[in-house]
Amino acid sequence: MTILLWILGILAVPVLLFGLWLAGVFLKEFFSPSPDDDDDADDGVGAAQAAAAPGLLPSDRQDTAYAGPLPDDWRAALDAVRADDWRPAADLLAAIGRDWEGRAAFSYALSQLAVREDDWLLAWEAERADDPDAALVRARSTVGLAWEIRGARRATYTTGEQFEGFHRTLRTAREQVARAAALHPDDPTPYIAETWIALGLGYPNSAMDKLWSEITARAPHHFEAHFAALQYWCAKWSGSERLATAFAERAAAQAPPGSLLTAFPLIAHFEHDESADTEADSTPEMIARVDAALVDAAAADPAHPRLPELRHLLAFYLSLQGREEAALEQFRLVDGHVNALPWRYRVDRAGYYCQVRDATVVAARATHGTPPA
Amino acid sequence: MGAILRALRAVVLLCGFPLLSLLLLALLAGADVLALTRLAGLAALKIVIVSFLLAVPVVQGVLMLRVPRAERPDGVTVTEADEPRLWALVRELADATGTRAPDEIVLTGEVNAAVGERPRLLGLLPGPRALHLGVPLLTGLSEAQLRSVLAHEYGHFTGGDTRLSALVVRGRVQLAVVIDRFTSRADDKVAAERARQERAAAKRLTRGRRPREVDTRGVGLTYRAMAALYTAYAKLYLRASLSTARAQEYAADLTAARITGRDTTASALRALPALTAAHDFYLARYASLGVPVRLLPPRGEFLGGFARMLAAREENLAELRTALPAAPASPYDSHPPIAERVRRVEQLPSDGAPVAAVVRVVNGLTGEAPATGAALDLLTDPARTLAALEDVILTDDARSFRRAADWQDLLDTAMSAHLTGADTPLRQALAAYTRRPPTLNDLLTLIDDGALWQLAHRLPLSEQAIASKGRAFREFARPVLRTSLRTMVLAEFSARSLLHWEFSWAHPATVRLPGAAARDAASTDAPDNTRDTDARPGPDSEEVFEAALDAALADHPDTAPLRALLPPSPHPAEQAS
Repeated sequence: MTILLWILGILAVPVLLFGLWLAGVFLKEFFSPSPDDDDDADDGVGAAQAAAAPGLLPSDRQDTAYAGPLPDDWRAALDAVRADDWRPAADLLAAIGRDWEGRAAFSYALSQLAVREDDWLLAWEAERADDPDAALVRARSTVGLAWEIRGARRATYTTGEQFEGFHRTLRTAREQVARAAALHPDDPTPYIAETWIALGLGYPNSAMDKLWSEITARAPHHFEAHFAALQYWCAKWSGSERLATAFAERAAAQAPPGSLLTAFPLIAHFEHDESADTEADSTPEMIARVDAALVDAAAADPAHPRLPELRHLLAFYLSLQGREEAALEQFRLVDGHVNALPWRYRVDRAGYYCQVRDATVVAARATHGTPPA
Repeated sequence: MGAILRALRAVVLLCGFPLLSLLLLALLAGADVLALTRLAGLAALKIVIVSFLLAVPVVQGVLMLRVPRAERPDGVTVTEADEPRLWALVRELADATGTRAPDEIVLTGEVNAAVGERPRLLGLLPGPRALHLGVPLLTGLSEAQLRSVLAHEYGHFTGGDTRLSALVVRGRVQLAVVIDRFTSRADDKVAAERARQERAAAKRLTRGRRPREVDTRGVGLTYRAMAALYTAYAKLYLRASLSTARAQEYAADLTAARITGRDTTASALRALPALTAAHDFYLARYASLGVPVRLLPPRGEFLGGFARMLAAREENLAELRTALPAAPASPYDSHPPIAERVRRVEQLPSDGAPVAAVVRVVNGLTGEAPATGAALDLLTDPARTLAALEDVILTDDARSFRRAADWQDLLDTAMSAHLTGADTPLRQALAAYTRRPPTLNDLLTLIDDGALWQLAHRLPLSEQAIASKGRAFREFARPVLRTSLRTMVLAEFSARSLLHWEFSWAHPATVRLPGAAARDAASTDAPDNTRDTDARPGPDSEEVFEAALDAALADHPDTAPLRALLPPSPHPAEQAS
């Protein structure tokens, strides 16, 4: 019997120790609860106050579809398409003509509407066979469809089925791009659309260089062309940080003022910045890049369709560099639309935008004592 | 620690195996004695009962250690009178390695050669020997390579660096059998209990009560506990003896290389994993092709087809022989990775002995005697032996299967049954949507009515596909639809005997579409053209078929091209009236 007791005793020791430990944890938690979300709650209050700053909109009133306000005639044409009337859009695209920046931007906006349902586009194609404008929208919408199928998540979280559909649709899009380019040989836009295919299908660098020479021969300082190509040269697609930075710096240095290509050194930095603090964003080099972009924005045509995108980036980096006054100036100019880098990569882009904007407002108050008028 | 010491340690551990059981029993008995002397009445009785319950599996364990015999694979035992050349070869190699020849030779259907002993006392004493020789091995190896494999097997019995290691290796084999027995018995108990409870649950249901959930957690517990104990001990033994066992394998390879030549041994080692993979492939893709329709290849071909496939796929085999698996099969596998074994053999100095690999002659579908130079030729009458062996290795159920006339017949029957019986997701969706037996005609009508995408929502789709809308949804659904529709249309062709499957030993079976027939149907109003279109080559009809499938599943579907391919309705008279 004593042996049995001994055995039981030995078995009981770990159980007893565990019980004591559990009781200890329980008591400790009871008398001094560990801090949890109280800090966040404080932030929430501050944000609510900041949103009350005059002239700035709360996050639920931010437009998450565009980077800035659309021209009236564009909006009217897009609304007509939503009502299945493609004619105003076709007329507008024809009127935009050889303004390649405008053509790329408007054909993109139009193609996005065809990603979900394309009956209006089919009607357009049926009525005007071999219309280069319809062919361009068709090609761009198929590219958009492919990216819709893939989803915006990283490769690890993307299923084989999604990749399979993505690649299949991109291959269809490649044929349509070729057709659009053949129908309008001067137009760089089909090649810009193909750059998004190059990303998805992983074109070799040599093929991308060839594609790039087609684009620059037609439009040497095109914003969207550079935007797409820079994505291709990023480490997450087919390039590296070094290649992307070199590409962006070269583009910015060669472009005339007002072409907005000074945005790209900032984007190249943004895409490869893994640091958690703002030190890397406030180097003399980054301050010089932001200054150059400020000059560029001031020199640009105020109606440039991509100007708001540069202003969003400027607002972000000015804020990170502690230049709150200048940042707020940019925030005020673009407030109301948030579909731009850096907010675009977040699920709640409006929330992220307002968070950074409001923190800037608070910081500006702290520095100057009075709220800026 | 030297090799001898390591082997000695393993032998001690081996002896410890029965001692473990005795120790357990002694402990229980001791507890009983203590209880009876120190305690009175009920408490003592309780302890005695519990100790008896615990003793039962221990005793069973002891009995099991004694009982198990390596299970004999099904096979045909051949006497010296049956196969004089094979026996002569086997004896010659036994002499050369300096060990005794086996007492019997059993031909089996596996890719394996093993000299097995039924040892006594857990392998501490030797017993009668049997050579198990897989016929697929005879098919795939040359005579010289077979000699090398046999020399390796005998090498195990001659003892590499110590006499003890043979003992150790035998112990390993025996222990593996013991563990197998334990776990499979426990599994059997669980299965039996599950069946009993399910019967009970069914009974409850018929009486209109809620069935209890089947719970087999507690069943076989004592067995599994014992098995866990013995398994743990056996693993200890396996680990302790691993280096000895591996050294044994290398030593056996050396013996083989000494007797049959370095290059032949290396080529045999390279051939083994390739043959295993090829045989698995053969069984899955060829031999068992007709199993779902209870159909087997012609008698003798179940084993005999392997040689034809090897001949036709020589290129793939060559690839397999160069790329060797580098990882061991399991941490307890006594065989070192084959790549390492090949490396060691190939490092030996050259002995000038020529390589002798199988020289195969591609001899088509109905060729006469298969491969030449294969070890199979050692047999007096390979064809008769294959047929006899087939009768033994097939299960009773499989023996009752019908036999196909030839491989082509097997393919045709299996494929048409597969197509007709294929319950594709689209068929299920269609049945759910219309509440009628799904037919191709119904499906096409439904597509014409513009209901294809409503139907698509009834398909089993991924989370991402369900979350998508519009064109993206259609892109997600299209591959599933296409595969299913393709199967349904092919089944329709097959039902009208319009399909022709091309059998090949070298490639997967390909389907020949009824191009000419379909065009006949399409151009009935222009009969003058039929002769012309008939002459067009096959691939064209495939393109037409694929394009028709695409059209039927487009965003705005058009079934006309597909209907044109389908033969006219089988009941024209009914339709006319």
